[in-house]
Amino acid sequence: MSFAADLRAVLADDQVLDHPLDLHVYAKDAGVTPGIVAAVVFPESSEQVAAAVKIAAKHEVPIVARGAGTGLSGGAVPTRPGLIVALTRLNQIEEVDEAARTAWVGPGVINLDLSAHTMPLGLHYAPDPSSQSACTIGGNVGTNAGGPHCLAEGTTVSHILALELITAEGEIVMLGGAEPDPLGLDLVGVVVGSEGTMGLVTRILVKLTENPPEVRTLLLAFDSIEAAAAAVSAVIAAGVVPAAMELMDQPMIEAVENFKSCGFPITAAVLIAEVAGHPAAVDSEAAVVAQAGRDAGATEIRIAATEIERDLIWLGRKSAFGAVAYAAPDYYLHDTVVPRTRLVETMSAIYEIGARHGIQMLNVFHAGDGNLHPLVAFDAKEPGMLERVKAAADEMVRVSIGVGGALSGEHGVGLEKRDLMGEVFSPMDLDAQARLREAFDPKGLLNPDKILPEGSRCYDFGLVANLEPDSLK
Amino acid sequence: MPWETSHAPRQHELDACVTCGLCLPKCPTFRLTGSESASPRGRLAAMSAVASDIAIVDSRFDEIMSFCLQCRACEPVCPSVVPFGRAMEGARAETAAQLPHRARKLRALLLGPNGLGSRAAVRVATLLAAVGQRLRLDKLPVRLMTRISGLRRIPLAPQSHLGVLRSSVGERIGSIGLLAGCVQDSWFGGVNDAAVELLARAGYDVHVPTGQTCCGALAAHDGAVAGAESLAAINAAAFSEYDLVVATAAGCSAHLAGYSEWTQSGAAVEDRARDITVVIADAIAAGRLPTLPPRNQEVAIQDPCHLRHAQRIINEPRAIVRAAGYVPVEIDPDGMCCGAAGIYVLTNPETSDELGNKKADQVRASGATLVASANPGCEMQLRTNLGTAYEVKHPIEIYADALRSSYRAAGA
Repeated sequence: MSFAADLRAVLADDQVLDHPLDLHVYAKDAGVTPGIVAAVVFPESSEQVAAAVKIAAKHEVPIVARGAGTGLSGGAVPTRPGLIVALTRLNQIEEVDEAARTAWVGPGVINLDLSAHTMPLGLHYAPDPSSQSACTIGGNVGTNAGGPHCLAEGTTVSHILALELITAEGEIVMLGGAEPDPLGLDLVGVVVGSEGTMGLVTRILVKLTENPPEVRTLLLAFDSIEAAAAAVSAVIAAGVVPAAMELMDQPMIEAVENFKSCGFPITAAVLIAEVAGHPAAVDSEAAVVAQAGRDAGATEIRIAATEIERDLIWLGRKSAFGAVAYAAPDYYLHDTVVPRTRLVETMSAIYEIGARHGIQMLNVFHAGDGNLHPLVAFDAKEPGMLERVKAAADEMVRVSIGVGGALSGEHGVGLEKRDLMGEVFSPMDLDAQARLREAFDPKGLLNPDKILPEGSRCYDFGLVANLEPDSLK
Repeated sequence: MPWETSHAPRQHELDACVTCGLCLPKCPTFRLTGSESASPRGRLAAMSAVASDIAIVDSRFDEIMSFCLQCRACEPVCPSVVPFGRAMEGARAETAAQLPHRARKLRALLLGPNGLGSRAAVRVATLLAAVGQRLRLDKLPVRLMTRISGLRRIPLAPQSHLGVLRSSVGERIGSIGLLAGCVQDSWFGGVNDAAVELLARAGYDVHVPTGQTCCGALAAHDGAVAGAESLAAINAAAFSEYDLVVATAAGCSAHLAGYSEWTQSGAAVEDRARDITVVIADAIAAGRLPTLPPRNQEVAIQDPCHLRHAQRIINEPRAIVRAAGYVPVEIDPDGMCCGAAGIYVLTNPETSDELGNKKADQVRASGATLVASANPGCEMQLRTNLGTAYEVKHPIEIYADALRSSYRAAGA
């Protein structure tokens, strides 16, 4: 039987799409590169996911998991004719355990829906990527998504206790557990951030976080990005870890004000800081942040006095992405991480790269954890533009890595950064990662061609004995 | 050329989409199916595929486009401001032109100048509906008939507001041409009664010109281009001389706001077109209509999509209900479509029922038994799905009723 016929034998008609038009619709996520799709399935249970995986394995068709398709690095796009397993129908929020502050959720649950659901219990799901109104928890697990509030709370991996995984062979296995420190290897840690290359996640046990009893949100204006970055380091050095510290540069502030008018001062840099916790603590912590700001030369410091003022500050921050979409036909959103102490020099280098390539760049970033998001606004129809944008992107990533940073903060490696992996990892590292992946997926059918560049699995360990570690790079 | 009509999706409309996916969770059909092909982003991708000759207008394209409710809930959340409703009407125009099957031709007839645009045809339909109500034909297992249960009680000889001329009470603010609406006029006469009365009290000379016809929204949504164009032309002429053109159905006011697409003189209508809720809420805010004493009763607010999403009119119905003395109650933070969606209730019954039931559940959960809805299609859908224990009225009717009873009390 044909591949689609095999799928239809175990799934209902409305659970399989293979019309060329649907395949075209599914060939892209929110990233820039299209892929090739053989079929799309909409399983409604773990067993159905397992069945679809088995059929794909039998036909040797690559398998790519997909949630809302809001990923920016091409993680949900097959590079060769592949089966898209749309996990959107596994969208149940089950077993909210108020006492243990956990919930079992399906991968198709939308991030913000989960927090809205647990709001009456005074709980929320902490990782809050900018696309949280649309992106799914399954996708967040795939990319180990972050967000402004991950500075204090940690990224997705810190909030996942257990996973139900469909293996490459179509087995249903459980990883991790409800207990705080399960025995054995940390396989949950292996799967989170693996972008569907280790298996397909069908149920997720998430930690829920208490809504902070009190919050203070500050907006600090600076006349240079360096001064703002210095304030960020000073706050951390003072022993305060705010819930969030977000920095926006002038082009971004102007774009946001143009789009939503949130009353931001038009200045070289705006730092948004939020401290959360016990009512007795937040005022003194806010005072530490304000003092650090003053010492760094803040020209204006506002502390939101009402919920409306706080919402307006966050509206400004969370509209950044929309503001750019509003301003230009295309955009390219970068995602790298640098040590917080090297923020200032990295920013200067990034501005220089943008200027040299003649591209319009706006910056908004999770300054607290050094996660940079330079946003390039451009028009892809302009000849040669896409190449210039990609060349500049490459340079920016290299600069970040050069100062000891990481390739990706939270968007994932996917296709976008795969070929830069060699900049960060030695051939031996890459080979070890490839071997780990092989242990989960011997046939190489789970989201192939993603994360690891071609040839990763070819390091000859026989050489190790003869080489100094430094020469491995 | 992949497209055949002048209304086809335009390249700049399609290019505006940056494929971010923020529209997906707001789309009722994506929520029900989890399918990209049932999402605004997916539908735009399908249109783009045709525009760039990767795909053709075939039966699957038709299915994908026909499944859309045209609720436009995707528009307010779109950072790139894609005019999705407009592009979707363009796609519908193309499927109608390129795949003209019998049911579609029949619909074009019924929704055009010789159907909804014909006073005689509407009169016949009204009589049939009135007789059907009396013979309890809504118990028949025929979709069209079961919908009769959502209608208000229709008099056998309904009054028309066409030709009504009412002078302003007190200081004159300006003139208003009132769009009576094709079925609104005879099936929902109470709304137009309230509109004429309140507008006159608010200082407007109100005229319901006889030269008007159906606004053409349903024809435009279904891709019946010729009908939509000729209806728009008739109305543009009929409403040329008023300060404002006011519609009492959200679907009509939203369509008037896009009239330049359908007739050459449409821009002049667009600029002056208002939904009745906006004019009345403004009059209340300006003190030209009174704010009535509180009565401590709750009213569930149902936002018609073409009010909330297409025109971003959210506060006005609430302000009117509040001025009537009631406590407005929210039922749905997203204002998701009730599933009526014009003729969608007939063309896609399963999806329509699923959404209708959800909406009814939201109303029940609110505890209120009076529902304010500013669009006749939504009103029918709510009544069908809620049953007789609930009352559904236009917000201006709720206000007008309260105003009348306050005058009676003052007179007594």
